[in-house]
Amino acid sequence: MINFSRFSLDNGLRVIVHEDRSTPLVAMNILYDVGSKDEDPAITGLAHMFEHLMYCGSVNIPEYDLPLQLAGGENNAFTNNDITDYYLTVPAENIETGFWLESDRMLEPGLSQKKLDIQKNVVIEEFKQRYLNQPYGDAMLLLRRLAYTVHPYRWPTIGMDISHLENVTLENVMSFFALHYVTDNAILALTGNITPGRAYDLAAKWFGPIPGRASSPRSLPKEPDQNQKKNLTVEKNVPSDALYKAWHMGPRLSEDYYTLDLSTDLLAGGESGRLYNKLVREKNLFSEINAYITSDTDPGLIILSGKLMKGTDIYKAENAVNEVINELKDFALTSNELEKVKNKFESSTVLSNTSILNKALNLSIYELLGDTGLINREVESYRAVSRKMVQDAAIRYLNPENCTTLFYLSEGNK
Amino acid sequence: MVIQRHIQPPVFPFDARILVPTEFVYLHNGTSLFLINAGTEDVMRMEFVFRAGMVREYLPLLATSTNMMLTEGSEKYSSEELNSILDYYGIFLNLSVEKDTAGLTVYFLNKHIEKALELIDEILFRPVFPKKELNILMKKRVDWYRVSREKVQNLAMDQFFESVFGNHHPYGRQVCERDFDGMSPSLLKDFHAKFYKPEKMTVIISGRIPEQTVGLFENYFGAQQSKEIYIEDSGNFIKGANEKKKHIEKSGALQTAFRIGSSTINKRHPDYPGLKFLNVILGGFFGSRLMKNIREEKGFTYGIHSSVSSMDMSGFKVISTEVGKNKSDQAADEIYKEIRLLQTKPVENEELEVVRSYMSGNMIRMFDGPFAIAESFKAVWEFGLDYNYFVRLMNTIRTINPDEILRLANTYYNIGDLYEITAG
Repeated sequence: MINFSRFSLDNGLRVIVHEDRSTPLVAMNILYDVGSKDEDPAITGLAHMFEHLMYCGSVNIPEYDLPLQLAGGENNAFTNNDITDYYLTVPAENIETGFWLESDRMLEPGLSQKKLDIQKNVVIEEFKQRYLNQPYGDAMLLLRRLAYTVHPYRWPTIGMDISHLENVTLENVMSFFALHYVTDNAILALTGNITPGRAYDLAAKWFGPIPGRASSPRSLPKEPDQNQKKNLTVEKNVPSDALYKAWHMGPRLSEDYYTLDLSTDLLAGGESGRLYNKLVREKNLFSEINAYITSDTDPGLIILSGKLMKGTDIYKAENAVNEVINELKDFALTSNELEKVKNKFESSTVLSNTSILNKALNLSIYELLGDTGLINREVESYRAVSRKMVQDAAIRYLNPENCTTLFYLSEGNK
Repeated sequence: MVIQRHIQPPVFPFDARILVPTEFVYLHNGTSLFLINAGTEDVMRMEFVFRAGMVREYLPLLATSTNMMLTEGSEKYSSEELNSILDYYGIFLNLSVEKDTAGLTVYFLNKHIEKALELIDEILFRPVFPKKELNILMKKRVDWYRVSREKVQNLAMDQFFESVFGNHHPYGRQVCERDFDGMSPSLLKDFHAKFYKPEKMTVIISGRIPEQTVGLFENYFGAQQSKEIYIEDSGNFIKGANEKKKHIEKSGALQTAFRIGSSTINKRHPDYPGLKFLNVILGGFFGSRLMKNIREEKGFTYGIHSSVSSMDMSGFKVISTEVGKNKSDQAADEIYKEIRLLQTKPVENEELEVVRSYMSGNMIRMFDGPFAIAESFKAVWEFGLDYNYFVRLMNTIRTINPDEILRLANTYYNIGDLYEITAG
């Protein structure tokens, strides 16, 4: 059970506190309700590039990292389709430095053309290092582009193309900040060795004076239902063939979320999933196979990815995958199997809550979803999933018409 | 209330609590248990360690294959059963092989401790190494190997170890495709019998430890004795390459991977804490000189860092980065420039203070919570050291001066000794 208190400042900033006296540290998480889905389709990658620019100093503080290091702190950040998240841990005595730094960059970051030019290069090298210069590194980029037709989830967080990053102007960056980095869009979570009272005082002192600016309502194009299967075949310089599949699912808060999360675990969670047992262990068609849901706020994807054993025909492999998926539709699932994935989930939840950083991030995400108390009810929701629910969800979502398939072939394998 | 936004709030001194109570117990057969009892949740972590790392192997892949086959079938359970039961009880099990040690780590809810121990006993001491599963594993591994050889960072790192430690020692030997055909159940059984012995096992237990834990260990493991087996000398020897620079061509690569460094002292040497400090200044954190110069000022790379690592018979330091192909010469020049600067110009006080604070903060993180403490403990226990190593490190962090840093930079970063490996 994670106890927390929550309050809002007059400017709209939401604050959540969870006190844990067993650690000498405090974790501070600031979630901004802005991700790559909020980008202009002509300037994709901007949300993530902005995250880099947030480390270039702010209006009153020339450098972000240095003062935090002096206080014994450490920090990082990430951007995804939905959110941009900044987090730090610092010895409890010095948490005020965290408030000082984070409030100043929420007030106004220290942007300049020179800083933008440097970070452009850094992010372009990141694009190359993580997506282009890696075998299969562009697979998810290709799959998203095909699975979605109108929703901005069709481009990846790093950006659709390097040229988008190259073309970003200082004006783009400034207006991105003005539009999205507003108090209404931010959630501040504090976990660890701090009382709610102290957290309130410091939040009021440092964040309170930031002028409240309301967020503009988001209106994203709704992805239409997919009624016909989509396939794409590419040939690249990779050692072996790979198979990727994506099925559309509902949003994070839809009732099928938990059922589908457990279903992907039943199929390919670790080395006891059905796909692993059948296709890796028994038939030896794949060298690895994974399945997961993207957990996006808006309607997301159920993803399956597998690397084929040398010599396996990719269409034969695909048929074998479909056979295993059809077993779920035929109610072949045993109660023991379902109990297994639920137990696993419970165990990983308890383990994840041993970290103050995880707790701070999770509290922020549930607050964003509109129900912070969910953090303590997730295990229950998973427990409530029945065999029939798994069967129904498999029939409803895991059908060929709703599926996008990427055949990622090795050039040498023709 | 008027606040001063351009002035940092007061920074107070903070201290890591390093000397953690750690209980030590011998089981009847000689197995060592270390218990770190702390934490607020009813969860445990247990790490089972053996001197069964790569350094013991007389054939490439032997240590890793033996370890990876532990969960592929035991006297009582098939591979499929083992994995299903582990998952059923929510027991997360990670196998691991390092240069010197090997073993496994489990995380689980306290209520499943007996089941966990029963399964671990099967996995560690009753594996059967079935031929079919071994064949599948080796086919998978050769595929993984081919993928890893497509990545410039792996090409550079593998070559770096070979250049520094030579191809006649497991610290340096590179794996090649035909090695994957060389494994057989009997080889693995032999390696297992020699190096996974219950009486030579060490277990590091952490979390909120239930009282009956030691008793349960005694039941499951305390009576196990293995046969005495003669262990022949592996004949491995360390000898670095004469050639200091080596480039591996990778057609179509968009970036060049750099690995610059050499062998060095390890944790047992009195200069080691100082070398750690020097490394942080050079490239060990986000505010390091290499990161500032090559990423934050020039934008040549997404990241550059340096590290110092210890192994039982040696140690090494290495600077790693991937840079755009057209920037690789400039990046190399800047790296050497930063090293020379550390050798010739005393570090300013302000920078020293930042590194002192950063490293002290890190010490708190290394001792925050039972699982972090367990990892820190293992990192010194492996070298026959104890928490006093961290006390020495803490003293170095507090007191090291610019002259000492100059001396260390000149002693350990002689540019003529450094290997420069590039791939791209």
